[in-house]
Amino acid sequence: MILPGSVKECVQALAEHGAAAKLVAGGTDLLPQLKNHLLKPGVVVDLSGVATLKKLTADKGLRIGAAVTARELERDGRLATGAYRGLAESGALVGSVQVRHLATVGGNICNAAPSADMIPPLLALDAEAVIAGPRGERRVPLRDFITGVRTTVLGADELLVELSVPDPGPHSGGAYLRHTPRRELDIAVVGVGSQVTLANGVCTKARIALAAVAPTPVHARAAERALEGQALTPQRIEEAAKLAVEAARPISDQRGSVEFRRHLVRVLTRRTLTTALARANGGQA
Amino acid sequence: MSTMKTTRDVRGVGLSIPRPDGPEKVTGRVQYVADMTSRGLLHAKLLRSRHAHARIVGIDTTRAKALPGVRAVLTARDIPELKHKAPTRAHAVLAIDRVVFAGQPVAAVAADEAAIAEEALDLIEVQYEVLPAAVDPLKSMQPGAPPVAELGTEADTSEALAHSAVAMAKGEAAPAKAVNISQTAAVKRGDVAKGFAESDLVLEHTYRVPMVHQGYLEPHAVLAEWDRAGNLTLWASTQGSFNTRSEVADVLGIEENRIKVIPVECGGGFGGKIRALCEPITALLARATKRPVRYVMTRREELEAGMPAPQVIIRLKTGVKRDGALMALEAETVLESGAFSGTVLAVSAVFLGSLYRWPAFDIKGSEVLTHKPSVAAYRAPVAPQTIFAIDSHMESLARALALDPVEFRRRHLQKPGEPMVNNQPWASNGAHEVLTRIAEHPLWKEREAWKKSSGNGHGLRGTGLALGGWLGGLQPTSATVKLNPDGTLAVLTGQVDIAGTNIALAQIAATAYGLDIDKVKITTGDTDVAPLTGLSAGSKTIYTVGTAVLQAAQNARQQTLEIAAKELEASVQDLEIVDGKVIVRGVPDKGVTLASIGKKGNLYMSKVEPVLGVAHPAFSQQAPAFAAQLARIEVDPDTGQTTLHDFVVVQDAGHAINPLGVEGQMQGGAVQSLGIALTEALMYDDSGRLMNPSLLDYRTLTAADLPDIETIIVEVPSPSGPYGARGVGEPPIVPAPAALANAIHDATGVRLTEVPLTPERIALAIAAKG
Ligand SMILES: Cc1cc2nc3c(=O)[nH]c(=O)nc-3n(C[C@H](O)[C@H](O)[C@H](O)COP(=O)(O)OP(=O)(O)OC[C@H]3O[C@@H](n4cnc5c(N)ncnc54)[C@H](O)[C@@H]3O)c2cc1C
Repeated sequence: MILPGSVKECVQALAEHGAAAKLVAGGTDLLPQLKNHLLKPGVVVDLSGVATLKKLTADKGLRIGAAVTARELERDGRLATGAYRGLAESGALVGSVQVRHLATVGGNICNAAPSADMIPPLLALDAEAVIAGPRGERRVPLRDFITGVRTTVLGADELLVELSVPDPGPHSGGAYLRHTPRRELDIAVVGVGSQVTLANGVCTKARIALAAVAPTPVHARAAERALEGQALTPQRIEEAAKLAVEAARPISDQRGSVEFRRHLVRVLTRRTLTTALARANGGQA
Repeated sequence: MSTMKTTRDVRGVGLSIPRPDGPEKVTGRVQYVADMTSRGLLHAKLLRSRHAHARIVGIDTTRAKALPGVRAVLTARDIPELKHKAPTRAHAVLAIDRVVFAGQPVAAVAADEAAIAEEALDLIEVQYEVLPAAVDPLKSMQPGAPPVAELGTEADTSEALAHSAVAMAKGEAAPAKAVNISQTAAVKRGDVAKGFAESDLVLEHTYRVPMVHQGYLEPHAVLAEWDRAGNLTLWASTQGSFNTRSEVADVLGIEENRIKVIPVECGGGFGGKIRALCEPITALLARATKRPVRYVMTRREELEAGMPAPQVIIRLKTGVKRDGALMALEAETVLESGAFSGTVLAVSAVFLGSLYRWPAFDIKGSEVLTHKPSVAAYRAPVAPQTIFAIDSHMESLARALALDPVEFRRRHLQKPGEPMVNNQPWASNGAHEVLTRIAEHPLWKEREAWKKSSGNGHGLRGTGLALGGWLGGLQPTSATVKLNPDGTLAVLTGQVDIAGTNIALAQIAATAYGLDIDKVKITTGDTDVAPLTGLSAGSKTIYTVGTAVLQAAQNARQQTLEIAAKELEASVQDLEIVDGKVIVRGVPDKGVTLASIGKKGNLYMSKVEPVLGVAHPAFSQQAPAFAAQLARIEVDPDTGQTTLHDFVVVQDAGHAINPLGVEGQMQGGAVQSLGIALTEALMYDDSGRLMNPSLLDYRTLTAADLPDIETIIVEVPSPSGPYGARGVGEPPIVPAPAALANAIHDATGVRLTEVPLTPERIALAIAAKG
């Protein structure tokens, strides 16, 4: 176990131990994986001593340190209204209170589960991943960051430092919903994060990100395009919800069938768009 | 209230007393088997088959044995006691040459550390020849299905006996080529064909309840140690130490006197810890290594290779007249038993055919083997599944005939004295009383208003109720009650306390003897010191062991009074026990203390006999116990999500010895019942592998999913139970699947016949209805 005090020390540690090293933030994904013998790292690099990773700054957009916890997203007053509300909602849904105090945004993203809850709202906000490595820093749009089930663009010698969210503007609203059979301690059968930005009663930008319906979180592009440049009526929202289903490529498993997942994409897209619209209009919904 | 014979109000029967083991458990101080150790302790791990059905071509343990810290690696070849035709799961200690379910143990390791034992498992090489598996019971019962048991293996009916289920005729032999039908049963009365012909409405549905796990918090665990003389001690998490002793003795082929089972605090069983499971292999590892060995199953092993409840499939067809008269019932029940026989067929027939008054019925049942883990009892075995079918059906009939659903049930509900399917009369019970009581509940009376409040930002709202119960188990038992030299009282039984029964038994002793509860101690002894007793199962501990304790305490009281009578020169009839003193009635200052009587029974050169009350009754009269449950719910028609707003349990306890304990059982039973209704299912893929082997995907409900559960105790005294008590453990797990299906029907108009009533099933059914 290595406990670096800065991003630089962390990069050094990774350079030294290469593929044998594994980063741990909250450990809520990693520890079960170790326990089930899915991973056998030679050394664990603990991020809990790197203070910069725990910062959340809101100033013309957001900068979310990779080690910011789900609980912080849930409770931070700056995320409680309008534009960032979807992000706060996704944080509030993770695990249980105990889990949320440990679970980090970076861990959620780097673990790259198709069902990860904190990814869709960040995708909907066009977030960018800030990555540190031996050759310095690089930036990758979040939508390109995840490459498959549990795989990302990160090299063995890199770490995720921060999520950078551009300012969505004054009339933007976000919402996140997921479906689980149980109220808590469950995994999304489907998750949908929507973001709409308005100007003069017209939608200038729409983002719909879907979780648990493909190997990676995906954007419902056709649905987004159908909304942009339009006034968002219930009919348009319903049409977009129908289009969103086409972006889903779900599988049937112990959590839900293809048929039900497609059905849920439509329902949750309609609901998140409706709520996001109300929030963009300044509503407290 | 109570029928106690003592003259003063003794603090005993009828008081609500918190379980003394509660604080110990919630603060984590209780020592379970997993916390226990012994000098030189080794840790066991089992290598389990990944295949549901395969021939074992070869096993190579060389590399595992060579791993430092490994003390023994056993395969079937090392255990000469093993039989090819294992009659029970316990006998199938390790697979011999064929595995019959995914998760079946094929090799066992004992090592200095659990991690080393686990590492050794990876070094054991097993060559399998994978064979086709019978996974779906309806296919498995057809001729030509891949066989599960070895040809000629006897059906195991001991579970039926253990639960003192109602005797029933064996059915005709299974068709010769249907190799996986291990038991059949059939009952018939009247002319069913004529009944259907004369019916105005014939309704037929097939109801399905999947395999579910009992969900006890503590997984199976045992610590085994042999002494040099060849005596085995087992520290076990069990629902019946004498049963564990018998089974292990039988598997190992040694005398019961050579085995001592010490029942350790049991972290839940619910039927899953009746039969032996990991005790034999742990004992064998301890014998091979001459060291104490501990084995604790993981949660994954529990889910993959525990002993869950059977899947139950019931095809139910009924005919009724337009005015609601019942005409005929036909049912076919399939119980999926997994890889070994051992289910209870009769319970299903009794509830299907004789809870309500069917003039003609024809009921057939089959136990079918599949390549899945073999099943065991789960709290009121087969009753929740059967009530799901018959109560859903009664509700559907009432709705189809536009009759009041409660009135319809009440009109046809059989009364005590009327015949069950096997022609034995129903014993006294409170089925009518609990049904009446729940129908008086405001939530039932206001169901129309609740339904009307649907929409407008709310989901679809509905209310449902169901009635179910348990016939009551019986088993001989024994207890002793001794008077200590200081005048306190000590009760000894061998009964494992898994449900807060010991405090209630002490309450019975207190009242029967005439001494306050705080002067009474109760001990569960091990199999060497305690008198024989049965399982903590079948809702029978208070009913049977309570009777033994009552009689033993009365016996001790009689002995006490006789000793006092001599001293006081009075007749026994004129004596009473008040405040720890035997006095002549009405003359409180003339008396002898219990302490002085107790002391003289243990004094050097004393001629006074020690007081030792003994009772060892056997039983023949069951005491059925019923519960009704009501759910007020709301369904999101788009996602199919059901929100429970209110839940009510009404239950006949006969006489609540410890009302707090009874309410605890009603709460816990309701939660498990709701889990079966809404979320729980062991899901298998086509090759017979469990798809959800963790508590993430095997969804027991959490506190966040549950409303406050209201409990209402009804008391219809049992003529045969101690102070009128009935069993209370099992009835509350029975009604919820039907109550929820009925509530969802009320809310959405959709009738679901398969549980769990998941959001997916509900949403897709609503979407299909349009
Ligand atoms: C009981 C329980 C309930 C859960 N419920 C949910 C839920 O509802 N929704 C949900 O989405 N998830 C859930 N999870 C999963 C988990 O809590 C989340 O994914 C969490 O956000 C992971 O964060 P962490 O800090 O614990 O990650 P860790 O376990 O520390 O790390 C996860 C992975 O990310 C890597 N990693 C971590 N930080 C970095 C970094 N800065 N740079 C590069 N790689 C990094 C690690 O090496 C590891 O591979 C649950 C987990 C548990 C145990």
